[in-house]
Amino acid sequence: MERIPKALIVLTWLTSAVFVVALYLVLFWAPQEAIMGDVQRVFYFHVAAGWVGGLAFLVTAIVGGIYLARGEQRWDRIAVASVEIGVVFTFINIVTGSIWARPIWNTWWTWDPRLVTATIMLLIYIAYIMLRQGIEDPDRRARFGAVYGIVGFISVPLTFLSIRIFRTIHPIVVGGSDPTALGAFNMTADMRVAFFFSLFTFTLIYVTLLWHRLRLQHLAEKIEERKLTALSA
Amino acid sequence: MMFQEGPADTLNYMIAGYTVILGTIGLYIVNIILRFRSLRQDEALLDEIDAERA
Repeated sequence: MERIPKALIVLTWLTSAVFVVALYLVLFWAPQEAIMGDVQRVFYFHVAAGWVGGLAFLVTAIVGGIYLARGEQRWDRIAVASVEIGVVFTFINIVTGSIWARPIWNTWWTWDPRLVTATIMLLIYIAYIMLRQGIEDPDRRARFGAVYGIVGFISVPLTFLSIRIFRTIHPIVVGGSDPTALGAFNMTADMRVAFFFSLFTFTLIYVTLLWHRLRLQHLAEKIEERKLTALSA
Repeated sequence: MMFQEGPADTLNYMIAGYTVILGTIGLYIVNIILRFRSLRQDEALLDEIDAERA
């Protein structure tokens, strides 16, 4: 049985401590927003979760390209681990957005370009996980995953830019909003601290989860190999 | 919300939002732990089989 690397144990504890600090900053340090009230506090982790989703899918596209160039399985391992984490955080991003929208837009859901593109992006990567499971041959599976990860990544900048190129009610907090946006606000200095610390915290959570998930993937492949050897003996 | 005095009372929505965030991350971590545990059980079984064969 492989032991957990010391660096990973330290990183896990560090991430947990940083997460507690981030919770304190967003729930107590940052001031209450003047109009929206406490629900605005969801914004900090909502954006951070969306950032991790985009980052995870970017990593998948990059390692997909490296896999196609080199053909080494370890890059495919990173791709699948990263997609899984990206799906979890994109799900958080969409659901928390819906919860924020209920008191601010007076609806849980509206067919706004940002909401639609984000949901399509989530479905694309859920399909990535499902379709991979249907391919038995590891090389074919990895090649498929790499190409899918690169092509699927188109949905990420499209989601990011959707509120900047289409007419939308979704606010753009960083960089100024469309005048028709509902729920926009100007961040105070304390809000900015909470916001950027949340982005940093969620990036750290992504790195930590990715490392654990890679170890899981490695163990699963090792056991699969041993099972095949045991059956053929 | 246009003619309100002071911030809106949206505490319940904030609680719901953070419940989703913490709950989802927590569930994912538990899922990873359970998958590890299951694989380690498989590994122990394979070790036993190898020991019996040797």
